[in-house]
Amino acid sequence: MELWIGAINLGFLYAFMAMGVFITFRINDFPDITVDGSFTSGAAITAVLLVSGFNPVLAVIASFFVGAISGGMTALIHTRFKINGLLAGILVMTGLYSINLHIMGRSNIPLLNTPGVISCIKGINPGLHDEIWLCLIFALMIAVFWIIISTFFKTDLGVTMRATGNNPTMAGALGVNVNAMKIFGISLSNGMVGISGSLVAQYQGFADIGMGIGVIVFSLASVIIGESVLKMRSIYAKFLSAVIGSVIFRLMVALALYVGLNPIDLKLITAVFVLIVLVAPKIISRKSPKITKPAGKFFTFVTGKRFFAGLFIIALIAGIAIFGYKGIKSRMSAPEKVIRIGVVQFSDHSLLNITRDSFIAEMEKLGYENGKNSFISLENANGDIPTVTTIIDKFHRDQDIIVTISTACTQAAINKIKDRPIVFATVANPFIIGAGKSDNDHLPNVTGVYGAAPVDKLLEVVRQILPGKLKIGAIWDPSQANSVFNAAQLKELISKSGNISLVGATVTNSSEVYQAAVSLVNKGINAFVLVPDNIVYSAFEAVVKAASTKKIPIFINDVERLKDGALAAYGYDYTLSGIQAARLVDRIIKGENPSHIPFEKYSKATFDINMNVAKNLGITIPPDLIAKATVIHDDLKKGVPAKPKKLALFLFSDHKTVEIVAKGVIDELKRSGVLDKYNITVDIKNAQNDFGMAHSVAQDIVRQQYDYIITLSTPVLQVTANVNKKIPHIFGFVTDPFRLGIAKDPYHHQENITGVATFEPVESAIKAMRQLFPKAKRIGIIWNPAEACSEACTYKARDVAKKYKFELLEATVSNSAEINNALMSLLNKKIDIFLTSGDNTVNLSVEMIADILKKYKIPYFTNSPEDIDRGAFVSIGTDFYDIGTETAKMAERVINGEKPKDVPIKEFIPEKIAINLSLAKFYGIKVPEEFLKKAAIVKK
Amino acid sequence: MIKLDNIDKRFNPGTINEVYSLRDISIEIREGEFVTVIGTNGSGKSTLLNAITGSILPDSGKIIIAGKEVTHKRDFQRAKYISRVFQNPFMGTAPDMSIAENLLLALLRGGKHYPRISLNADLMAYFKKEVTQLEMQLEDRLDNMIGTLSGGQRQAVSLLMAVIKEPKVLLLDEHTAALDPKSASQVIKLTKMFIERARLTTLMVTHSMQQALDLGTRMIMMHKGQIIDDIPANEKARLTVDDLLNKFADIRKKERLTEDVVEQLRREYV
Repeated sequence: MELWIGAINLGFLYAFMAMGVFITFRINDFPDITVDGSFTSGAAITAVLLVSGFNPVLAVIASFFVGAISGGMTALIHTRFKINGLLAGILVMTGLYSINLHIMGRSNIPLLNTPGVISCIKGINPGLHDEIWLCLIFALMIAVFWIIISTFFKTDLGVTMRATGNNPTMAGALGVNVNAMKIFGISLSNGMVGISGSLVAQYQGFADIGMGIGVIVFSLASVIIGESVLKMRSIYAKFLSAVIGSVIFRLMVALALYVGLNPIDLKLITAVFVLIVLVAPKIISRKSPKITKPAGKFFTFVTGKRFFAGLFIIALIAGIAIFGYKGIKSRMSAPEKVIRIGVVQFSDHSLLNITRDSFIAEMEKLGYENGKNSFISLENANGDIPTVTTIIDKFHRDQDIIVTISTACTQAAINKIKDRPIVFATVANPFIIGAGKSDNDHLPNVTGVYGAAPVDKLLEVVRQILPGKLKIGAIWDPSQANSVFNAAQLKELISKSGNISLVGATVTNSSEVYQAAVSLVNKGINAFVLVPDNIVYSAFEAVVKAASTKKIPIFINDVERLKDGALAAYGYDYTLSGIQAARLVDRIIKGENPSHIPFEKYSKATFDINMNVAKNLGITIPPDLIAKATVIHDDLKKGVPAKPKKLALFLFSDHKTVEIVAKGVIDELKRSGVLDKYNITVDIKNAQNDFGMAHSVAQDIVRQQYDYIITLSTPVLQVTANVNKKIPHIFGFVTDPFRLGIAKDPYHHQENITGVATFEPVESAIKAMRQLFPKAKRIGIIWNPAEACSEACTYKARDVAKKYKFELLEATVSNSAEINNALMSLLNKKIDIFLTSGDNTVNLSVEMIADILKKYKIPYFTNSPEDIDRGAFVSIGTDFYDIGTETAKMAERVINGEKPKDVPIKEFIPEKIAINLSLAKFYGIKVPEEFLKKAAIVKK
Repeated sequence: MIKLDNIDKRFNPGTINEVYSLRDISIEIREGEFVTVIGTNGSGKSTLLNAITGSILPDSGKIIIAGKEVTHKRDFQRAKYISRVFQNPFMGTAPDMSIAENLLLALLRGGKHYPRISLNADLMAYFKKEVTQLEMQLEDRLDNMIGTLSGGQRQAVSLLMAVIKEPKVLLLDEHTAALDPKSASQVIKLTKMFIERARLTTLMVTHSMQQALDLGTRMIMMHKGQIIDDIPANEKARLTVDDLLNKFADIRKKERLTEDVVEQLRREYV
């Protein structure tokens, strides 16, 4: 319920802005992009004033004026310099980004415990639920404002403004100063946007530099939706429609989350929804004249009344969505006793991913199996602040414990959620966002793991390695609160030490890092000290490249990047963040109250040195420092070749079978000792079942100049082969590499690629069919032509079937819903045996197929041994672990020196036979002894 | 009422597209005069009107209206004294606002626009009375959007808007040129009525020689940026359309012998 009321409340707060955008967009006929900036300005000014103790009402008024001034700037640029309106808006919006950062002083100001308009309203709550009370008050505020603004547009001045927007030439001829009117209108509008920004910041509990991005889209959508719903012509109706549109828009967002849609898809859904709302009434009214039946009459009556048409459409869509959701939910309902844990991370950054993965792994170790006694929901806000709030709202509905990874998520969560536990991880400083005053004195429902980067320790290391006078260069992104905090720390520490000076450079995205680094190098720095920063981290190689020209050492806090060219690193292992967080969650589930669990700092710091880099730079490390180091990268010490090597193990998805193959690969590589012998580190890459991502990962592997690549499964083989022509590439777990164009035959293949091909044992399966059912004539098979593997198997089946004198009858499907029909059609053609071979679509419905086949007494053969438990009669499959082992062995040949072009592709089909003997009697056959002997699994 | 002293205007001066639109124009129009303006294409008729309204500013010269010098004042500043009806019936009214609202705006012409509601029942009654004069059955549709009216109706409303607050100068810029004959004649009838009733000082540009002769107390002929003939009422009454056409033909003949050509001949043959 909170989800809906919260949505309505947000709708009311954003309605000020919707009305403002209505003024510029419809009345002034001016497309105003300034609002992305003025919205944030309103929030910024209010936050700064509230934190300084100003009266909240004054703060809101100040926000109005700040917004109005911004709008005035845009209008001035447009009218005075005759610059196109859109461009003027963009210029001002861009400039406001910097101005807003200056106003706030930092990228984010928390308002958690600061008295503001919202807390004042809550203070006079006579006893209703907080959100409902807020809803009533907001409705009142909006109603009053609506009446004022509508009445204004009925006055002489208002009529003049409307006329100016409608026909500027006429207005000018009638003595209206058109430019002045425009400036007034746009200023007024942006003032209202500023009010929206102020109220939204107070409602959500913080002001953030990024909160304005994209609001123009919401507002325009609100205006358009409103116009479709309320088609009356009076000015009162038009402003009301903007308010209604804003509320409906927010409700739609809430509905999308309720139904379970990914917050990432929200923007797409917005667009589709607005499109439907715009188009549907037209389609309906076009059809109406011909309808005569009673249902049709009702339809036309409803759509005839303009007021109802839009509402009717929206109700229809909402109804369909809710039914759809109920349908999906009833299939997926989990038993009541399951603990639901919601995990949210701010963006797809490596450190956050490491935390998340180690969290999940540790939870499993502690006994929480996802799907059985716990349900873990993973969400990613993809760097968008409003999405964080929507995800938190969604979690608030049905998650028992919320785990927030990164500062932004933690901040949003602790502001909204007071009634259940929040555990945070990978946060630099929880105190500045209002989570508490100290480790033991904190918000009662919050606990977690944090750790500011040990900048001080890192600086000590720098001093020990490079004593004397130093000029240090640092790079960071000023819009990330963490980075600003760390950079400030660095500055403070340096200012305290006598003979070190700091030269800094700021960046706003990863493409600027190289230039920033080069500029610092040219300023004569002696060393780089890089504090944790998402952007610098992702473009680390650029810094290495710039530094290498003058042999400048790099010191970092991010330990993961040490081997990529840094000299020394003092930091934390972020896997610990996830592990410690998991252990806290475990304690809470077992009954401990979070208020009694103190915040934990990362338990292990690690100090690593890269001796190879030291050698390259000609720097000697003091021996006592070497003694303190946890990890030392030094090839010479072990008598191995100087350069450490990296191997990428690239998987397409997390599917269980692939994991088994991967395990086989890694175990074999370790067992054989090549990893140690040649100092190879293995990085596992995963395309998350997405082709676009696979492509990016493949390109990244090439860019990072990996020494070897092992790919498992066909899609990644294809993508990698396209992108990589040099790095030795060994593939495994692929059905038919020849059909993909990688090779003509085992001896003639693309020069840098070789590997292990594993055909589905279709031949063995059909051979077994002939063996067990000598009189059978027709085999039925269902497959999905969109699956490459499936296609290969079916083609093979056709050939083999002929060989063994079977007729193969095929039916194709494109999704699992069509399987039933396909099966029936085959049964009608009187098949004797049924075969499933390596098709993912059909694989989902094995049980259903087996049931039906049993009724018709038709034996079921598959190529996946697990299917025996699902109802199949005989399954001849491949041992996935063995495939992995064989692939690794192939890789070892290449690692040991053989060139891939000299290594022929190997066909390896380690058969694993399974048979359900109890069914043999059912079909009235006797299974020959030697067949049973070969079988790995015999079910009785 | 209107005085122009040596008004000069060039467009795109110094470039290949230069047009010398108004060449040293001087004219005085007294209060109550109804002047029609005709001329060849490109003679500067519309530019003359635009110079008076302030839509364009002259390169040199002075413009005085109702005793006040307005040469450098912009169009909306001169609107206190001047009202204008455009040739395009869609330019003079705001399509998404009601007839009443448009009339209100016309009533406020040149004055201050305050945030107070003037559109009350009394004012609506007044508007209704005024609109009835147009004889187009619009008096019961005052709250309809102007966009729903036909071109003729819109132009009639534009005319009413121009005179509802009595202007010092009324400028009509070929205001019936885009209308069908029936609407055009209705609008001309209204034009005559309004002007005579209030004795408005009017300047009307027209392409119709018949209109130029039938209406008004004075007629000006323009050609290539200059006023070549200025005909007072009595003489105008005796002229016919053919006479006017002959006058234009004469000019063209004389044109063939321009100053430059004369100079050339002189140099060659004398």
